[in-house]
Amino acid sequence: MAEAILFYLFAIGALVAGAQVIFRRNPIYGALSLVGALFFLSGIYVLLAAHLIAILQIIVYAGAVMVLFVFVIMLLNLKEEELGEQRITAWKGVGLAAVVASFGVIAWRALGPAFPQGALMQGDRRVDNALLVSGFGGVKTVGRILYLASILPFEVTSLLLLVAVVAAVVVAKGRI
Amino acid sequence: MDFFHAHQAQHYLVLAAMLFALGAAGVVLRRNAIIVLMSIELMLNAVNLTFLAFSRFPLVPNSPMGSFLTGHAAVFFVIATAAAEASVGLAIIIAVFRSRTSVNVDEFDTLKL
Amino acid sequence: MEVTWLHLIPLLPLIGAAVCGLVGKWLPKSWVYAVALGSVLLSFLIGLRAFIGLGEQTPLFHELWFNWFSAGSLRVDMAFTFDRLSGALTLVVTGVGFLIHVYSVGYMEEDPGYWRYFSYLNLFIAAMMTLVLGDNLVAMFVGWEGVGLCSYLLIGFWFTDEEKAYAGRKAFVVNRIGDFGFLIGIFILFNQTGTVGIAQINSAVLPLGVASMAALCLFIGAAGKSAQLPLYIWLPDAMAGPTPVSALIHAATMVTAGVYMVARLSHLYVSAPGVMAVVAVVGVLTALWSALIATSQNDIKKVLAYSTVSQLGYMFIGVGVGAFFAGTMHLVTHAFFKACLFLGSGAVIHGLHGEQDIQKMGGLRKYLPSTRTTFLVATIAITGILPISGFFSKDEILGQALHTRAFSFLTLTPNGSARLTWLGPLIYAVGSFSAFLTSFYMWRCYFLTFSGEYRGPDSVHPHESPSVMTVPLWILAALSVVGLVLGLPQAWVHGTGLQHWTWEHFTEGVFSRPRGGAPEEFSPYLGYGIALIVGWAGWACSYALFFKRGLAGDELLTARVQGLRRALANKLYVDELYDFLIVRPLWALARGLFRVVDATLIDGIFVNGIPALIAWVGAMARRFQNGDVQRYLAVTALGVAALLYVFLVRG
Repeated sequence: MAEAILFYLFAIGALVAGAQVIFRRNPIYGALSLVGALFFLSGIYVLLAAHLIAILQIIVYAGAVMVLFVFVIMLLNLKEEELGEQRITAWKGVGLAAVVASFGVIAWRALGPAFPQGALMQGDRRVDNALLVSGFGGVKTVGRILYLASILPFEVTSLLLLVAVVAAVVVAKGRI
Repeated sequence: MDFFHAHQAQHYLVLAAMLFALGAAGVVLRRNAIIVLMSIELMLNAVNLTFLAFSRFPLVPNSPMGSFLTGHAAVFFVIATAAAEASVGLAIIIAVFRSRTSVNVDEFDTLKL
Repeated sequence: MEVTWLHLIPLLPLIGAAVCGLVGKWLPKSWVYAVALGSVLLSFLIGLRAFIGLGEQTPLFHELWFNWFSAGSLRVDMAFTFDRLSGALTLVVTGVGFLIHVYSVGYMEEDPGYWRYFSYLNLFIAAMMTLVLGDNLVAMFVGWEGVGLCSYLLIGFWFTDEEKAYAGRKAFVVNRIGDFGFLIGIFILFNQTGTVGIAQINSAVLPLGVASMAALCLFIGAAGKSAQLPLYIWLPDAMAGPTPVSALIHAATMVTAGVYMVARLSHLYVSAPGVMAVVAVVGVLTALWSALIATSQNDIKKVLAYSTVSQLGYMFIGVGVGAFFAGTMHLVTHAFFKACLFLGSGAVIHGLHGEQDIQKMGGLRKYLPSTRTTFLVATIAITGILPISGFFSKDEILGQALHTRAFSFLTLTPNGSARLTWLGPLIYAVGSFSAFLTSFYMWRCYFLTFSGEYRGPDSVHPHESPSVMTVPLWILAALSVVGLVLGLPQAWVHGTGLQHWTWEHFTEGVFSRPRGGAPEEFSPYLGYGIALIVGWAGWACSYALFFKRGLAGDELLTARVQGLRRALANKLYVDELYDFLIVRPLWALARGLFRVVDATLIDGIFVNGIPALIAWVGAMARRFQNGDVQRYLAVTALGVAALLYVFLVRG
């Protein structure tokens, strides 16, 4: 019950904030709305017993990436009149229709055949809870996966971050 | 679907689909490049949510990969990649802004700056 | 008898043509002459050697030079047959051809294109020999086309003059009409007999309809090549070429190819007696028609041209009534005296520096004695007032026509009421009248040119030709006289050595007999008498009108029959009629086709339309790559939606 209330709370919050992102004209409002959406999503992650990810989302995503966004918006310092008007073209309508259609398909599938009863059932019992190992979503268990099973992607991601740093510096610097 | 026994997979999946659709709509519709990048971040978050939902509510009793936490590992990498991509994307926007003084994507239609 | 050297007869002049044509421009003049004349002389000598070798044991020489092509059941070889008929023709063509080559050395002395001329002339001899010696219809056709080509090249030799070039074109186009008929005939014969070999066709048994169709189609070819009604129109225009060309091609040799072909396929023609009647009728009509026109022409070469058409008509009368030997005999004698006449006229033109109008000639006997004498001899031959070669050959034809039995079983209507026994005598009557006209116009030509006083401008001083030109004239004149031996009646020479020299005896067994059988033995004396009377009558009329009075005779005649004379002088308006009926509609059709099909359809739709279509498609496709990232993303979203649908809904 409590889960339901919390879920709907966070879900509606995330959706509203997401809508704000794409509908607001001023990008700073969009950035702040996105931060809010990330917070709400983090709450939902907690409901899904993904504790580490939830914390990481706040620290890294909302705390670093969005700060970067805000910095850049400040740097560009676009005046009100420079922001530009919205133009609707035929192709945008086509794209929008495609997006809505994709959503419809996914939703229909998710609500239907994927999970006939909302979760994995064996007879009358929900089995998914029994599958949760102790420490599901905690640092230790996620760490085991990262460092043992997927150590290669882990190391490659560190390289990726290095490349991103260098690229960002080079591209934004102008004259090297 | 049972609205009140909310701890079921469909809720999370439909939410993720909605967020993804919002993000995609933003990418297609908005002219401001920064807003486009933020919409992309929104889409990535929707993907994260899907990963975690399937990790929590698996479809089969036995995980083919040994444990159900590989979804979490995937989300970890997605976050890292999103960070990298956002930084590079913003750097590009700054570089383009220098010569065109505009961040509207429909004005970036020729290769020469 | 199989031999290996027959192919040299056409090959040597061909090599001569190649040498003269390709490098003749840079060779010294004497070398060109040596090559050209030498090759023809060599051909003549080889032919002579072969001719002497013919006898009882070897009725013919045969050579299969090479297999040209085989396709399915058709096998076409380049093969040559040298029998009595083709052998004699070989000698005539190469002999007279050689004399004309010699003559041309003098005639074309000052022409800068002489090397081209000799190349074409040699090429002509090569093609004519292929035609004469050809063993099968396709080889003969190769020669047929070849002489047509050379005719075109030589008529239009001075091609910078538009009219002369058009004359060459006219000859080629009209010939082509005939060639089409020839080809259809070959196709019919191949279809029915499975072979194109002449010997095989001559021994095949063909049903009447097939034989008639094939013979008729082949005759259309002959009518084109040998200038019979209605395809004779090119020959008078062909006089635009140099005079030796007119002598060789359009008098002595090429135009006789049609007669030769009919004679060669005598078996086919006797299998189709209806077509023989057609041949004879066309021949006699042509003889009459062109003789009428010739009486009113003022260009000396045109007179001789129409005379040639007329004499060819006589040859076709001969082969048409089944007297193949008579037609071919006249072919041989005609070659001699007509070549002599043409070369003589060439000497006159040369001596008068290009004047061809007989109204401006006259009295030339004082200035050109050799030419005059030879011309006189040849005129006597053609008109038959004295018993030399032309007399015997022409009279033989008419006598055979009178007594022929080839038409006695033909009827006008299918169920057979009126038999055509009267056709022979009718042909005889018309032919005799044409002989009268022949005598009249030839003597008119002679008197107006050589007798009386000179009517030309004072600036022109007539002079005799060099001996390189007069010697061939004398030789041909002598041959015209000596050729009488060919036509001596059997009654006179029976049992003597001369018997073997008569043409009738010589070609014994070469030709087939007509269905009705050979005509019964008839006494030639009545025919001789009538022929002499007719010939002298023509001479007398001509003498009275032209000998003393000159052109005044023309005026007298015109005063009497003004309209007729004018029509005849205008060639009976045949060219104008053809132009109206055929040429103009064809031009209109061509123009229409050009506008509708070529300009609109092909250019519009294919040539211009396809690029326009491609450009339009490109313009459409270009819109997908305009640099607008959001459009790209929209399209991507579309693709994603489709994929999701496929994978999630359709499974």
